[in-house]
Amino acid sequence: MSDAATATAIPGQKPVPHFGSASYGKIGMWIFLITDGLGFAGLLIALAVLRAGATQWPPNPEADRLGIPFTAVMTFVLICSSVTMVLALAAAQDGNRKQLLAWLGATVAGGLFFLCGQVFEYRHLMHEGMTLAADHFAGTFFVITSYHGLHVLTGVIYLAVMLALSVRRPLGPAHINLLEIAGLFWHFVDLVWILVFTFVYLIPNPATGGVR
Amino acid sequence: MSGAHDRKRYLTIFGVLVLFTLLEIGVVYTGLARGLIVSALVALACAKAAAVALYFMHLKFETRVLRVTVGVPMVLPPLYAVVLMLEAAWHAALR
Repeated sequence: MSDAATATAIPGQKPVPHFGSASYGKIGMWIFLITDGLGFAGLLIALAVLRAGATQWPPNPEADRLGIPFTAVMTFVLICSSVTMVLALAAAQDGNRKQLLAWLGATVAGGLFFLCGQVFEYRHLMHEGMTLAADHFAGTFFVITSYHGLHVLTGVIYLAVMLALSVRRPLGPAHINLLEIAGLFWHFVDLVWILVFTFVYLIPNPATGGVR
Repeated sequence: MSGAHDRKRYLTIFGVLVLFTLLEIGVVYTGLARGLIVSALVALACAKAAAVALYFMHLKFETRVLRVTVGVPMVLPPLYAVVLMLEAAWHAALR
């Protein structure tokens, strides 16, 4: 977003020193996202430590096999939904309600598609014997990806509420600010998946290649 | 018009994200040395994450104080991970 856009002040809000035009809500969301990011970091570090200490990863190569192509499609959809989110914000800044509703609706749909894909993947993996308590690979996989999945679900609900509010509310600085804050959360969900996709799915195991 | 300029930037970043994702998947299927694969994957993932944070989350347009507020805590986990991984690998080697 260009500098002009971030300079939108929220009526009745005094600028916070050193934070420029960032509203209270935006600063609050950023601080929340930092703590949430540290939570994800803890889970990814646990994965890294279990892996570094294992003589073979995954412990059970036959059952513990993840589908890279399928997950790549899900990753692409989540990246697309990040783009539709910023396009929705740009439309709101231009005062274009129709475009705002279209892009925001596409963002919610992208999130729903991702969640459905994750349910499909879980059913498939469990059918192949990879269950939560099977081994460290399966345990860390399900904990990390379901924790992220709950964030996607939260984001879908959050954006659906913003979509409903955007139908009638005036597209002034206050509403644009709310949209931007919701966008921060959604982009964070995408950002975390970028890291999860790499560390959980892509970094292969020397023994089996870990790739299907 | 600032909106049009922003959209162009967003679509450029989108292209970068898709390209880097394809590169990541390509790297995994190459026969390169494991260390090279892991280094390439980590670098590409961090670049993608930075692109989302700077341009989609507009961190690039915020004040330095907000950028430092966000950036500093995010440096600590990787350092911590490296220390713990080295220690875990050392224990594994002792076995």
